[in-house]
Amino acid sequence: MGVTCVCQVPLAEGKSVQQTIDILHKKLEQLSAVKQGNFTVDCETYHATGNGATTPTKLLYVMHNSETPLSCLALFEGGPCLTADGNFDVLMIKLKSHFQNAKGHKVESRGSRYRYCDFLIKVGAVTMSSSARGISVEVEYCPCVVPGDCWNLMKEFMQSFLGPSIPELPSVFATKPEGLYVPADCVDTMTQYLELFSKVRKQQVLPGTTR
Amino acid sequence: MSGSGPAVRVSIESSCEKQVQEVSLDGMETYVPPLSMSQNLAKLAQRIDFGQGSDSDEEGVETEPRDPQEWGKQEPEEDEVKFQPSLWPWDSVRNNLRSSLTEMCVLYDVLSVVKEKKYMALDPVSQDPSTPQVFQLISKKKSLATAAQLLLKGADKLSKSVAENQENRRQRDFNSELLRLRSQWKLRKVGDKILGDLSYRSAGSLFPHAGTFEVIKNTDIDLDKKLPEDYCPLNVQIPSDLEGSAYIKVSIQKQAPDIGDLGTVSLFRRQPKAKAGTQPWHVKLEAAQNVLLCKEIFAQLSREAVQIKSQIPHIVVKNQIISQPFPGLQLSISLCHSTGEKKNQRASPEKPKPDDHLYVLEHNLHQLMREFHKQTLSSIVMPHPASAPFGHKRQRMAGPMAYDKAEISNLQQNEGLLEKIIKQAKHIFLRSRSIQLQLNIGVEQIRVVHRDGRVITLSHQEQELQDFLLSQMSQHQVHAVQQLAKVMGWHVLSFSNHVGLGSVESIGNASAITVASSNGEYAISVRNGPESGCKVLVQFPRSQSKELPKSDVIQDGKWNHLRGPYKEVHWSKMEGRNFVYKMELLMAALTPCP
Repeated sequence: MGVTCVCQVPLAEGKSVQQTIDILHKKLEQLSAVKQGNFTVDCETYHATGNGATTPTKLLYVMHNSETPLSCLALFEGGPCLTADGNFDVLMIKLKSHFQNAKGHKVESRGSRYRYCDFLIKVGAVTMSSSARGISVEVEYCPCVVPGDCWNLMKEFMQSFLGPSIPELPSVFATKPEGLYVPADCVDTMTQYLELFSKVRKQQVLPGTTR
Repeated sequence: MSGSGPAVRVSIESSCEKQVQEVSLDGMETYVPPLSMSQNLAKLAQRIDFGQGSDSDEEGVETEPRDPQEWGKQEPEEDEVKFQPSLWPWDSVRNNLRSSLTEMCVLYDVLSVVKEKKYMALDPVSQDPSTPQVFQLISKKKSLATAAQLLLKGADKLSKSVAENQENRRQRDFNSELLRLRSQWKLRKVGDKILGDLSYRSAGSLFPHAGTFEVIKNTDIDLDKKLPEDYCPLNVQIPSDLEGSAYIKVSIQKQAPDIGDLGTVSLFRRQPKAKAGTQPWHVKLEAAQNVLLCKEIFAQLSREAVQIKSQIPHIVVKNQIISQPFPGLQLSISLCHSTGEKKNQRASPEKPKPDDHLYVLEHNLHQLMREFHKQTLSSIVMPHPASAPFGHKRQRMAGPMAYDKAEISNLQQNEGLLEKIIKQAKHIFLRSRSIQLQLNIGVEQIRVVHRDGRVITLSHQEQELQDFLLSQMSQHQVHAVQQLAKVMGWHVLSFSNHVGLGSVESIGNASAITVASSNGEYAISVRNGPESGCKVLVQFPRSQSKELPKSDVIQDGKWNHLRGPYKEVHWSKMEGRNFVYKMELLMAALTPCP
């Protein structure tokens, strides 16, 4: 468990999603990062079928991360969050009457996982209903859990392979009431992914992307 | 009685004994003076109850009112009793005398009549004639014969039932045999076939082999001929790959054998003779179960050998796994399965070296596999509640606590069967190592190169070498205790190669070590000197020693867990082949069971 930063990388000029990802992989390999398998992060949306139809229905997001293979995360946007066992999915099926699955809204990010000393880099293609919508890059600095201490180091590292498109400090850390020096955990990671997926969902299908 | 004979004079005298009033100191007795006439009269007068006079009127007035009828009846009787003439003191005597006189007269008359023999004659009483002995004999014989007949009848019945039992046992009904089989093995009926399960599935094994055997009726029997001794109406058919017998051979070799020899281990040892009482099907099934277990062990070991990455890779060839725990040392685990058909296949069978096969490790493999079976069924792993997923309790927290892969792999058991066995083999090898002294025997001197690099030059005198070896032996024993403590989990509290206390040794120095058990309750102190020999003391916890008096100062119960007084161990009476075995036994005895 370390501090993670999730960001979206814009496509390179005239290149497709896969090609951009390959460029990133090459850069990482030049850095002598070692490929350590694959990763998957996905997010499913559930509508809360409340009594009042007028109030905007709350959306429940259930997310999985291959980094924590036995856990499930359930969260409302900007609201409370629950870390649960894998059986939570089965529970959601049982709660069909209260939460309906919006099947078309499932977003996931798949890709390879690289390890460079204390850093874990995951480059994945964000897909929604099997159409690639973008590229997500997650950088994790494992030894530290306090974002305030290692943010500068992470920024410097991301600069080395992402080039100019480095993100700012994730809002998750900035908006914490206790400040930057509170330990980060998997909830922060998944919140960042959720933000990214929401952004991707709102975007239109990228022009020129191949399936 | 009147005028029958001369009168007899009877003289009577009253015993006029006076009462003794007092015996004086010189023996003189003082008698109570007898009553005078007037006193006597007064005494007698006192006896008369004037209240009950002769007049019925007086009596009627003075006595208590009673039922007048009853009283009326009683009163004349009392009167009569009352007013009989007063009995003078000799009256009873006179009556007795009179009656005895009467008796005597009668006797005299009877005797005189008998003497005359005219009117009365004496006749002896007729006695029964004694039965002759012959009759006695016959009657006794008859009674004995009846008793004997009864007993014989009973014995007959018993012998008949015993014979019947034996007959039944001999015939061995199929159903009773089936019942016996069912009491020891799992059976189930499928259609019209009876199948059984000899695998360890129900005991927690995850091996995919089904292990089903079939029970068939033995019908190839000729009822006319006599049944053979080992006839059994029931036969079991085991799967073909479990036939015969198998065992796992674990051996350590110092030199690596040729590559060509790999995979050719097929030594088998003779099966032990089955016990006389066991059924043939039981022997067969047990052997098949053993083969299955050996196969499972070997499959698990070879799977781990292939999967686990170690510095020196393990070689898996046919039925043998070879690994190198230490450089130059080779551990080979092989599955020896003999189907029992070709027994005398070799012309010159190799003599199996007894030191080669490590029976301990083979036994350990079986135990480890059974422990693994138990673990899959243990309540730690079995889910509570029943709907929870399988796995260790800590693993269930992995989901809600969002453990990542590193943490999850930490939770799971790392060591497999192979690693455990390799560790044990290493331990055995280290234990069998002795001190390595290299003796260079030259022309003038002997040079001894010690394992820790010291070089000592000894002269030609054998006493020097002897002394040196003795001192080395005593040091080695203490070193062995140190190593043993590491293996057994005991902590070394103090260790000294050259102890400055105690009697001075003439050869070298004494060494000493103190080790404490893992929970701190016991401590063993060893002082070993080349001359003074070995002295072992054990320190017990205070709660176990009875000699410690209750102290006012130490009142808290927690102090009783500390170690208290020492007790010496009779090392010569200790069981064990050598010093290390004895020490190991002592340590094991002092380590409490968890």
